[in-house]
Amino acid sequence: MSKAMEEHVSFRADHGGASVVRHDVRAGFGMLTPAGIVILAVTIFPILYSVWMSFNNIQLTENGFQFTFNGVQNYADVYSAPLFWHSVWFTVYYSIVTVAIELFLGLLIALAIQNVEKLKSVSIVVMLIPWSLITVISAEMWSYIYNGVYGVLNAILQGMGFIHNSINWTGEPFTAVIALMAADIWKTTPFVVIILLSGLQMIPKDYYEAARIDGANGWQTFWNVTFPQLRGSIAIAGLFRILQAFGIFDLPFVLTQGGPGSTTTSLAMLGEETLFTNLHFGLGAAVAVSTVILILGACVIFLSAFRGMVGEEAQ
Amino acid sequence: MKNKVKRWTSVGLASSAVAALVVGCGQANNAAGTANANGSASTVASSGATVSVAGVRIAKPAHLVNYKDASGTIVWAESFTTGPTASELVSAFEKKYPKIKVKLQVQPSNTDTNRADLTASISGGSSTPDVYMGDVIWPAQFAHSQLAAPLSDYLPTSFWTRFSNGLVAGATYNGKVYAEPLFADTAFLYYRKDLLAKYHLPVPKTWQQLQTDASYIVKHGGAKYGFVWQGADYEGLTCDFDEYLADAGGSVLTNGKASLNTAAAKQALSFMRGLITSGVSPQSVDTFQEPQSENVFTQGNAVFLRNWSYAWSDSQNPTSSKVVGKVGVVPLPTFAGHGSSGYSTVGGWDLYLNPHTKNLAAALQFIDWMTSPQAQEILAANSEMPTIKAVADSPSLAKYSPVFALLPKVKFVSRPAQTPNYPSVSRAIYDNVNAALAGSVSVSQALQNANQQIQQALNGSGSGGL
Repeated sequence: MSKAMEEHVSFRADHGGASVVRHDVRAGFGMLTPAGIVILAVTIFPILYSVWMSFNNIQLTENGFQFTFNGVQNYADVYSAPLFWHSVWFTVYYSIVTVAIELFLGLLIALAIQNVEKLKSVSIVVMLIPWSLITVISAEMWSYIYNGVYGVLNAILQGMGFIHNSINWTGEPFTAVIALMAADIWKTTPFVVIILLSGLQMIPKDYYEAARIDGANGWQTFWNVTFPQLRGSIAIAGLFRILQAFGIFDLPFVLTQGGPGSTTTSLAMLGEETLFTNLHFGLGAAVAVSTVILILGACVIFLSAFRGMVGEEAQ
Repeated sequence: MKNKVKRWTSVGLASSAVAALVVGCGQANNAAGTANANGSASTVASSGATVSVAGVRIAKPAHLVNYKDASGTIVWAESFTTGPTASELVSAFEKKYPKIKVKLQVQPSNTDTNRADLTASISGGSSTPDVYMGDVIWPAQFAHSQLAAPLSDYLPTSFWTRFSNGLVAGATYNGKVYAEPLFADTAFLYYRKDLLAKYHLPVPKTWQQLQTDASYIVKHGGAKYGFVWQGADYEGLTCDFDEYLADAGGSVLTNGKASLNTAAAKQALSFMRGLITSGVSPQSVDTFQEPQSENVFTQGNAVFLRNWSYAWSDSQNPTSSKVVGKVGVVPLPTFAGHGSSGYSTVGGWDLYLNPHTKNLAAALQFIDWMTSPQAQEILAANSEMPTIKAVADSPSLAKYSPVFALLPKVKFVSRPAQTPNYPSVSRAIYDNVNAALAGSVSVSQALQNANQQIQQALNGSGSGGL
């Protein structure tokens, strides 16, 4: 925004008087102000407030919240809890695995839909159904599928003779994690598909024409035309998914309640519980701020990895 | 920011009160001052004197409120999970006290979501709901966080004598009563009469016998599962575990210190895990909350069910139950050699008063009436267990539900909820017990972890707050 403004300003400065420029700049900022205030009120202020909370011991008193500054004590307490590090580890590996699989599957499905001749829009709509469902509802649906007594999944697997005894999908650590990941991948892959589909549509047809004339086969065309052109879209889809995956809350909240034990307790669940069940606001804020820092870190790593690839492509 | 909100609320409160009061001296003054406008408050000098009532020592009322002529509108946040109980109560109340209107605010049925919602609005200084329903395990935490007003400051000491034994003690924190026991609840053993008769087995009085009966019937094809209960990773598991623990002669705390490193705790948890490994309970019982376990039983797939009192009426409802008329109910069993019946966890719901209420008198009138014989009869007719002696001890109670007739035989165990950090204490229990049920840690390792985490939570500082 600011760069565009500068160009605009310098352009005007060459031709008109300085007063006109100043007037335009003022009008520009004036128009930005309402949106700026809203962003300040609903985004910047709560973030700063949370950070401030995390450095205080907070008691609820008859006069509302009472803050007592206690430095990094909350962070020291949070970082000395094995449960916190367990949640960090779960959130990190859960995010990496699900986002990687979603990007891979999403790419495959996007390519398939791109090449569908008939009923293209129908297949897009069908594909989008999981994404359009409210997570809590789809999680409730998955809990019926995974139920260890009357679950659909066990019935199908038993009917087909793959297993003899019911599997306790959400009741055992390993299968609980797999079950969560499967439900998440089912739900959010369509989001990746939609982003990648729009990316695919922006690739000029001439590129494929040229590849064909050069005698490239399908595989070569994909690696030399499609994939390099799609990197930007993949980066965007990946970024959005990482942001969401690190904040995973509703799915384990419904499906496993963070169990068995604390196997599937994500950082967001830990933060929510500390804040709203245990009413330890300072500790909860420290968990929340730590989560934000972790997410920012993950996004920076992901983007810089991708920027390397995009830069390569630009040459 | 919250401070500012509250300050403005205080200003608003004070200006609406008739009496000119000093602003900013805290909630007790505000509330009593409001009472001046609506009723007549007489401030009794608080000399720090205490009095023993209903088996617990509490401070004498500091701001007795006369709410006889109360009027106006109050908001009641209710969280009944079934039926029109709340509106039935409200219309009976409004008929009796036409000057007071009660608006219903329906809360989320999930207890933790409900708590989060109430915490958010009351800690933000909201004056409504004036009165709200809350779990019996909340008093210490809500009192500590100033989310509930001390009822014993406003109500006469004699008020508390109407309740059944032990209930007032459970609502007391640091010598003040913060909640009014509205209805009680406890757990029972539901069993299939027809199956026990078919296989000529007695109704089990011990856990061991239950296990033998159940596995016999399952082995002979009488039912798919033997015994279903609540083993998921949540508060309900703490209730189930506490019962086995009490039956084995143990307790979560001994002299205020975690005591799960005992033989009793080991017996309790080993038995629970054994129910799963022996096939008497389905493996997935470690994901069951009340609805899942009840569902298995009412669909005719289990011989025994541990559940709360409402499971009786659910099991007799032909639209959802396949076992109507085939169900019996008895007090929970115990371990062999520990008496004739087992312990049941005390559950139920209380009424709490919002410290920021603008109509203290009407709120108190409503709270008072809700434990009158009239209101408690309405609750009993809706299968909720009354808390006042006059109704609970009446022989006519059995007509509402056969589980009420069993109450005199039930031994009660309370959860260790006398600490503001009870949620963390409970989490230490259910997380580790659930992990042991899933088989991911050994019984002794789970108990050792639980013991250590409970102690951290009790200390109330450091990472124990997580």
